Amino acid sequence: MAQDTKQNQIFAWFTARYPIVEFNQKHISGYYAPKNFNFWYYFGSFSLLVLLNQIITGIWLAMEYTPTADAAFSSVQHIMRDVRFGWLLRFMHTTGASAFFIVVYLHMYRALIYGSYQKPRELLWLIGMLIYLTLLLEAFTGYVLPWGQMSFWGAEVITSFASAIPIVGKYVMIWLRGDYNISGVTLHRFFSLHVIAVPLVLLGLVFVHLVALHYVGSNNPDGIDIKKKKNKKGHPLDGIPFHPYYTLKDLAGAGIFLIVFSCVLFFAPKMGGFFLESNNYLPANPLQTPEHIAPVWYMTPFYAILRAVPNKLLGLVAMATAIAFMFVLPWLDRSPVRSIRYKGMWSKIAITEFVICFISLGYLGVQPVSPLRSAMAQIFAIGYFLFFLLMPIYTSYEKTKSPPERVTG
Amino acid sequence: MRYLLLTILLLITQLTYAEEPSIALANAKVNLHDIKSIERGAKFFATNCMMCHTLVYLRYDTVAHDAGITYEKMPINVKAWPNGIKPPDMSNETNVRGPDWVYTFLHSFYLDSKRPTGFNNLLIPNTSMPSMLTPYQGQLVLAKDVKESIPIFGAKVQWFDVLEQQSTGIMSPDQFDATMRDVVNFLAYAADPYHEQQVHLGIWVIGFLLILCVLLYLLKKEYWKDIENDDEN
Repeated sequence: MAQDTKQNQIFAWFTARYPIVEFNQKHISGYYAPKNFNFWYYFGSFSLLVLLNQIITGIWLAMEYTPTADAAFSSVQHIMRDVRFGWLLRFMHTTGASAFFIVVYLHMYRALIYGSYQKPRELLWLIGMLIYLTLLLEAFTGYVLPWGQMSFWGAEVITSFASAIPIVGKYVMIWLRGDYNISGVTLHRFFSLHVIAVPLVLLGLVFVHLVALHYVGSNNPDGIDIKKKKNKKGHPLDGIPFHPYYTLKDLAGAGIFLIVFSCVLFFAPKMGGFFLESNNYLPANPLQTPEHIAPVWYMTPFYAILRAVPNKLLGLVAMATAIAFMFVLPWLDRSPVRSIRYKGMWSKIAITEFVICFISLGYLGVQPVSPLRSAMAQIFAIGYFLFFLLMPIYTSYEKTKSPPERVTG
Repeated sequence: MRYLLLTILLLITQLTYAEEPSIALANAKVNLHDIKSIERGAKFFATNCMMCHTLVYLRYDTVAHDAGITYEKMPINVKAWPNGIKPPDMSNETNVRGPDWVYTFLHSFYLDSKRPTGFNNLLIPNTSMPSMLTPYQGQLVLAKDVKESIPIFGAKVQWFDVLEQQSTGIMSPDQFDATMRDVVNFLAYAADPYHEQQVHLGIWVIGFLLILCVLLYLLKKEYWKDIENDDEN
C-alpha cells in the first residue's frame, strides 16, 4: 500500500502542475465522436501516421544526405548502397510521400461527400486546405533534393512559373532560386526549407486543425449533429468516447494500411515510375533537357490545368483559381443537408463528374502533350471549374431528402 | 601511490612485449611508396591467398585509387570523346532504362558503313558506342526497314525480325543470349544491390503485420461489443 500512496503522491504532484487529467477528459476518453464512422474516417489518423513516418525517416536520411550540387546525388546513392538499411529509410520516405497524398486526397474526398466543410466546420476545412498547400510545398522542395534529372528540371519548370508574373516575375524567380538558374544555391535552400521551415509550419497547422476539430466536433456519414440528443450525463446518445473505441479502431485500420504500405515499400517502391521517376536515377545535368518533364503524380491535376491554357500567365491564374475554389467550397455549398446520402441527384452527378475530371487531369498531367490530350485537358479543366461554379445553383434548387434524427450506422 | 601504479603499469607493458622471437628477423624492406610492388602483391594475394583469407576492411575502390587509377585519369575522363559524348556510368542503368532495354540494346548492333564506328544500333540510332560485342555475336545486317516494319496495330517488331546474321561470332546465338542475360543480371544487381535484402525483409514484415492485424482486430471487436445498439453507454 505504501507503494501505492507514493505513486499517488507523484501523480498528485504532477497533476497539480500539468492538466493531464483535464486533457484526457476533454480530448481523449472524454472526447465523444459519432459512433457511425465508416471506411472514409480512417484517413485522418492515417495521415498522422504517415507524418510521423516522414519525420522519423527524414531525420535519419538527413544524417547521411549532403545538400550540395556536387555531392547530393552521390550521397543518395551512398544512402541506398552503403548505409545499413539506408534503402529502407529512403524507400519509407519516398513511399511515405506518395502515401501522404493518397490519404490526404481520400481525407478531403470524405469531407466533400459528407459535407464536413459546412457550418460550423468552415475554418476546419480552411486549415485543412492550408495543410494541403504546405504539403505540396514540402513535397516539391523534397523532390529536388536527390538532385537527379527530374529534380533539377522539375524545379526549373516550377520556379519558372514565377517568371509569368508581369513586370516583377523575373526578379521573383531569381529571388526564389537564389541564382540565375537552378543551382547548388537553390538545392541548399530547398534542403533548409524541406527539413526545417515547412515541417514546422506543417506541424503547427496540424495542431491547429486538431484543436479546431475538437472544438466543433466531428461530422459523420449522416451529416447530422450528434450533440442535439444527449443522455442524462450530458453525453451525445450517438457519440462514443474516442478512447478506447476509436483509438483501437484506428489502430486496427493502421495495421491494414501498413500492410498495403509495406507491399509497395518492399515489392514495388518505384511504382512503375509513378513514385520514383526513372529519369531521376540520372544525375542532374543543366545542359541536357529530358524529353518529357512531368511532376510527380500528386501535382499533375493542377499541372494539367496549367498546361491546358495556351498562355503561360493565364495558365498560372487558372491553376491558382483551381486551388482557390477548393478554399471557398464551404460558401459555395448552399444545401440544407450535409451528407451526400441526403443531397439530391444533381449533387451526386456533380461529385461523380468532379472525380472523373480530377483523375483524368491527373492522368493527362503525367503524359506528354499532344493536340488530342490538350483538348481533353481543356474539357476536363472546364468540368473541374463547373463543379464549383454551378454548386451554389444545384445545391439551392435540387430536391433533398430529410436526414434522420439519429445516426444510421 | 601514483609512482607505484606507474611502476606496475610499466611492468605490465614490459610483460606483454616479453615474447622474444627465437631468431633474428629479416628485413622485409617494406616501402609503401612502391606502387608497382603493392600492385604485384595485390595480384598475388588475390590469386593465391584470398581463397582462405579475407580483407574485409579494404575497399576495392581504395585499392584502385591508391594504385593511381583515379577517376580523373581513367580513359573516360581523359580521352577526347567524339562530340564530347562520354560513355555513361552504368550504376543505375537498369533503373533508368530498364533491364529489357539494356538486353535489347546489346543485341541490336548492326553493320552500317555510314557510321564512323562502322556500326549502328536499333534502339539508339547513330549511337557513338562502338559494337564491342560483335566478336562474340557475329556481324548483323539490317534486313528490313524498321519504319516500314512498324505495324499500325499489334505488337512492334523484335530486333531479330529486322536484323539478319551475316557471320558467326565466337559464341553461338544461345551462348550469346545467355551471356548478355548474365551481364544485364549483373547490372540489375549493381543498380539495386539491396534488392535481395529488401524482398526478404518485406516477407517478414508483412507476415508480422498480418498477425498483428488479426490481434488488433480482435481487440477492437472485444471493446466494440458494448457499443452495438446501446443508447445509454
